Amino acid sequence: MAQFINSCLDWFFRFFGSSVGPESLLGYAVAAAVHIGLLIQVVAVGALIFIWLERKVAGRIQDRLGPTRVGGKFGWLQTLADGIKLITKEDITPAGADVMLFKLAPYISFAAGFTAYMVLPFANGWSATEVNVGVFFFVAILGLEVFGVILAGYASGSKWSLFGGMREAAQVVSYEVPMGMCIVIPVLIAGTMNLTTIGNQQDGWFTNWLVLHDPFTFLVFWVYATCAIASVNRAPFDLAEAESELVAGFHTEYSGLRWSFFFMAEYGSMFSVSVLATILFFGGWNGPIPIFSEILPAITGWEWAYKPGETQWRVLGFLSQVGGVHNVILKATLFVTVMMWIRWTLPRLRIDQVLTVCLKYCVPIAAVCFLGAVAFQLLDLPTPLAPNRWAPGPFQYTWESPKPIAGEAKSSGFTPASKPVAWIGRAGVREGWVAPGQAPVVARPVETAKKTTSADKVTAVLRQEAAR
Amino acid sequence: MMLSTNLLAADMVNWHSFTFLFFSLLACGFGAAVLATSNVVRMAFYLTLCLGATAGLFFLAGAEFVGAMQLMIYVGGTLVLLIFGVMLTAQERFISMKTGAGEWVTGLIVGGTLLVLLVRTAFSIPTWNTAPKAEIDGVQVARTVEKFESRTSTKIGLALTGVRVDKAEQADPLRRKGMVGYLLPFVIISMHLLTVLIGAGYMARTKKTKTGRVLEGPVRTVPTNRKFPFLVKVGIIKGFVVNAFLIITLIATMTRNLVLPKEGQVGEWSQAFLTKVYALPGWLLPALILTLIINILLLFVVLNWQKWGVVGLIVIPLVQFMFLINGGVSPVVAGAIAAVLLIPAVALALLCCFSSRPTVWSQME
Repeated sequence: MAQFINSCLDWFFRFFGSSVGPESLLGYAVAAAVHIGLLIQVVAVGALIFIWLERKVAGRIQDRLGPTRVGGKFGWLQTLADGIKLITKEDITPAGADVMLFKLAPYISFAAGFTAYMVLPFANGWSATEVNVGVFFFVAILGLEVFGVILAGYASGSKWSLFGGMREAAQVVSYEVPMGMCIVIPVLIAGTMNLTTIGNQQDGWFTNWLVLHDPFTFLVFWVYATCAIASVNRAPFDLAEAESELVAGFHTEYSGLRWSFFFMAEYGSMFSVSVLATILFFGGWNGPIPIFSEILPAITGWEWAYKPGETQWRVLGFLSQVGGVHNVILKATLFVTVMMWIRWTLPRLRIDQVLTVCLKYCVPIAAVCFLGAVAFQLLDLPTPLAPNRWAPGPFQYTWESPKPIAGEAKSSGFTPASKPVAWIGRAGVREGWVAPGQAPVVARPVETAKKTTSADKVTAVLRQEAAR
Repeated sequence: MMLSTNLLAADMVNWHSFTFLFFSLLACGFGAAVLATSNVVRMAFYLTLCLGATAGLFFLAGAEFVGAMQLMIYVGGTLVLLIFGVMLTAQERFISMKTGAGEWVTGLIVGGTLLVLLVRTAFSIPTWNTAPKAEIDGVQVARTVEKFESRTSTKIGLALTGVRVDKAEQADPLRRKGMVGYLLPFVIISMHLLTVLIGAGYMARTKKTKTGRVLEGPVRTVPTNRKFPFLVKVGIIKGFVVNAFLIITLIATMTRNLVLPKEGQVGEWSQAFLTKVYALPGWLLPALILTLIINILLLFVVLNWQKWGVVGLIVIPLVQFMFLINGGVSPVVAGAIAAVLLIPAVALALLCCFSSRPTVWSQME
């Protein structure tokens, strides 16, 4: 993108007798600004829409209409009107507050929630930075969001705020444990922590989604959903702002724009955990029906979705990427709507019930699911819902399971590597080292030219290990 | 116009150096701010930013895994804990801490020594003094690192599971033996952390005292005249006998002194069985004997009315199953052995739970 912008700038500056090289900083700065702007609008515009949606959903559930007047028929400008009202409010700082921390806390909360978007891919490869340990980075950042809340609770100099902050800290820290265990399971099945690769491996029909991979992933998705709701402090886990006990919890003393920053952070992190659930369990940018990767290519005879390793820009590839973005956003919005539905349906839990749910239910269930998923991978049990594995379509890449090396002593009755790791969707896999043994056989010869120097090295090491 | 666009050209400024300086200045500045401030919570806040800037340095160096680790462990974990500590224990005298002159002097001496040591080390490595260069068509240019090469998390993961990718070229098999990765330290550290986690849970548990509050469990009294039912008693005694017999048999097998019939069809079967047993790896039988000894100890635990003894008796056959599988016994045979060993334990547990009321289980501790 930077080179493209630089060429545009070069064309423009020609008229003034100057020139811009293809690697000029200007293009990179503009490209970075565009990326940042796109991500910020996901959080900011997302918050606008979700607050409106929340009011409409709440209205429907409580048998009333919700906002109806501002901005036409559905009141869809209501949030904007709220925002203008919030900007005009007086910015109050309590007398007993630690002024610097009090003023900084909303921004820290927002910045932490926003940083998580840096690694989230919205389509195949469309992420701000493609971090190799994306899932891990996401979990690390998600735990930091509580920092702003704690600081807000402490710096307000109010007992309600302090109680709210402490409750939130206890809750988030304890829910990080089961949430981490839930996230580990898709990582274990995919064999990588790269979010783009995880999404690409669920390519094809919806039966390839990891939530349908085996019974344990199906079960663990619900645990993940519970933990996600708890870790972003939504009802029924919103003890940090329980208005019946703590006035408004950690943001009791905040007003105006600072208060709205907390709300933006909350809606931003709601959306980010939903996007993560989409990528880890629900196929990411791969829709339930493989329109761009199988159906349209079969009808038109052209290549649509980008093939693995493809770097050239194509119109059809771009269109399928746009379709992928819509897939991600639609699925994530669906999860956010479910969170709202839960919020306006279930009563708030007590603090001991919150911790009971975490330690006595979520952690053991997640642990059992972890063991079960490991057993599925180890024993290569059949995954009932994966027709692509049994009958691959004409446009589906299928990789044969690597055969054991000849002469290698089998140490036990188990197959050495599970097939689902070796089976890779159309998009292929970037780190080709997952399966020891022979290089996987590719059904279509397009990919044979792939460079596998690193993969060969690791395979050689594993082979030597086995020989010893 | 010409001047401004050319100044902004990428090759005029080394952007890696610029970002490096930016992050390191942030880290050093907030580190100094930790020293300068006297409020504990603000210190924690500055420390977070300092450690976060260090994570940024790691990301800049391409060590994504280490950077994320830094965020997770140092920035996230340590500071949440620190704030917990500060906020739960903060007394007036801790909120504002004054540093005395003596403390300044001591701190400067210790810190200065460390600084001198680090600077000395950094400048003593020749490749760090000059930027890595590569020659392309006779022109010296800064060496770039391939994107895939810079991704270290795969190598770290493989090293933690026992494969050293970075030593793949080592041809000498004897020297390769010392390069088996970090599986053992990794397992030791994980077990250590698990122990700490359980210990923390134990420390933070609700004390079982009779205060009449809703959230706390009722006080349990130990009945003084509790007795095992006849069947349970028989089961425990049988357990002692069977385990002792198995231990003796296994020791006899280990010393190749096991006597089995040699004549006829039965003799053929038994000799074939023996050759198979002798072909097992050497560590397997001692390990099994160890588990059987643990079994006997667990039976003593059950005799002392402890619940975890019963749980342990059920877990042990699973451990033995794992040993057998790893020792090369086929899963079917190992499963059969585990089932046979598991049946008495399960029967004992069922007897404990469903014997006449009050059940043995409910009277245990």
